[in-house]
Amino acid sequence: MTLLAGPGSDRQAPAATFGAARPVIFLRDVTKTYPGGKVALRDVDLTIREGEYVFIVGPSGAGKSTLLKLLIRDEVATEGQVFIDGTDLARLGRREIPRVRRRIGTIFQDFKLLPTRTVWENVAFALEVTGASRRTIAPLVDRVLALVGLTAQAGQLPTQLSGGEQQRTAIARALVHDPRLIIADEPTGNLDPLISWEIIQLLLRINELGVTVLMATHDAEVVTALRRRVVALEEGRVVRDELGAAYHRED
Amino acid sequence: MIPFVLFSIRRAWQGFWRNGLMSIAATATMTFMLLLLGGFWIVQAGLSAGLQYVEQKVQVVAYMKEDATQAQADEAVAAVRQMPEVQDVVYVSKDEALARFRSNLAERGQPDLTGSLDTNPLPASIEVYLVDPTDFGAIVTQLESSAGVDRVDDVQQLVDRVTTVTTVIRTVGIVALVLVGLTVLFIIVNTIRLAVTSRAEEIEIMRLVGASDAFIRWPFIFEGALVGVLGALVTLVILGAAAAPLSSLMLGFFRVLPLEFGTLVRDVAVLVLVTGLGLGVVGSYVSVRSYLIR
Repeated sequence: MTLLAGPGSDRQAPAATFGAARPVIFLRDVTKTYPGGKVALRDVDLTIREGEYVFIVGPSGAGKSTLLKLLIRDEVATEGQVFIDGTDLARLGRREIPRVRRRIGTIFQDFKLLPTRTVWENVAFALEVTGASRRTIAPLVDRVLALVGLTAQAGQLPTQLSGGEQQRTAIARALVHDPRLIIADEPTGNLDPLISWEIIQLLLRINELGVTVLMATHDAEVVTALRRRVVALEEGRVVRDELGAAYHRED
Repeated sequence: MIPFVLFSIRRAWQGFWRNGLMSIAATATMTFMLLLLGGFWIVQAGLSAGLQYVEQKVQVVAYMKEDATQAQADEAVAAVRQMPEVQDVVYVSKDEALARFRSNLAERGQPDLTGSLDTNPLPASIEVYLVDPTDFGAIVTQLESSAGVDRVDDVQQLVDRVTTVTTVIRTVGIVALVLVGLTVLFIIVNTIRLAVTSRAEEIEIMRLVGASDAFIRWPFIFEGALVGVLGALVTLVILGAAAAPLSSLMLGFFRVLPLEFGTLVRDVAVLVLVTGLGLGVVGSYVSVRSYLIR
């Protein structure tokens, strides 16, 4: 399945992809058909192991967003199975869905911050929903804001921040409940190149801490420069899955 | 459980103030609608009391024979007085009948010619006021069989006419009240739906970070309750301020106050509070629900 051959494979792949690290994401024969008949994903098989940094690339409409929605159980696969951390998402009861989502950190192109809440409150929000007490929340929020470098902006509203700062707030929120997996949908899509690199550096650091990162992107420069695992989608199919690859096919 | 309720209430409070403009708009709409409903209820109660007053004017009148004795009259009065259909019985003696006739003439400014009469031509009578204007049959029978009674007025036609009119007015009043009620229901629920829709993104983010349905729902329900109770209180304050001029207006229009003014005040307060709270809660529940079910 995994195409280890290819010009990029002589580069060092992340250590965690070797050996028997357990799969964080496991998709088997997944097909997603939307009501109305549009097929967004066809027979997708995908295994992502703990500690990997994986880019999902492909043109608009290729199924990237659908794939991410399946992983956070915002959509359900029409056929096939989706496992997160060994949990079959199709067998999940309504009450269990939130618990799975809390194991995943999500980051979006449009940040999805609450405009009426401060940076600190936006981050704390992800912990409040778990029912954690204010006393346990405060130190965790302070720590994660320090990690993304937003301690000074803690009291500001999202509207007072730059795009990069807003995305760092979103990353802090995604990280605060200590997830095993970060799912990022075009996290640099709204940012200029310099700021994009800042965000990528931050995600790399988080990956080095052992968090699996799955990032859908159009940013060819970033993908090619980093030489990580690249999964390319086209018309709902996985057309390429290479370690240490570039944004475009190189053969 | 209790921490969760406290948490939800705190979040509801924050949500209310953080979306100040929307909250104020929703509360204002709630207030207007409850004013409409409460005002209509009061008018309806006044109308109803007025109709009752008109219906109580329906009376069965029995005229005594010229030679009837006072004992016969007392007996006839006592007989009807104990009947359950009877609200009140008034005995009008010959002298009282003449006095009434004269004062009626004087009121209309017509010359009093009765002074030229040798004897009093007016008969004594028994006036019976009814609990229910349509329920006169047994009383008429009783009066007709009493000794000393000459004849009993036929009240059938009068009763028919009065009850036809009052029934129509009552029905129209109730239909109008129901229509107003439905309008109020629709507008309030829609306003709350709008307020919730404006926060669809907030709900989406809550879902994404793993909030349970209960966690998302309850703050909104408490917020809806807050809007409802606040709107109800403002409404009651406005109605309270308007109570004095309103009651004097009603006294002028319907000739009587609704029989128990205290009961009406209590009814309106309960109506406004329950409607505000209920629609606030139900409106929020229904609106949030559509975002939770996927």
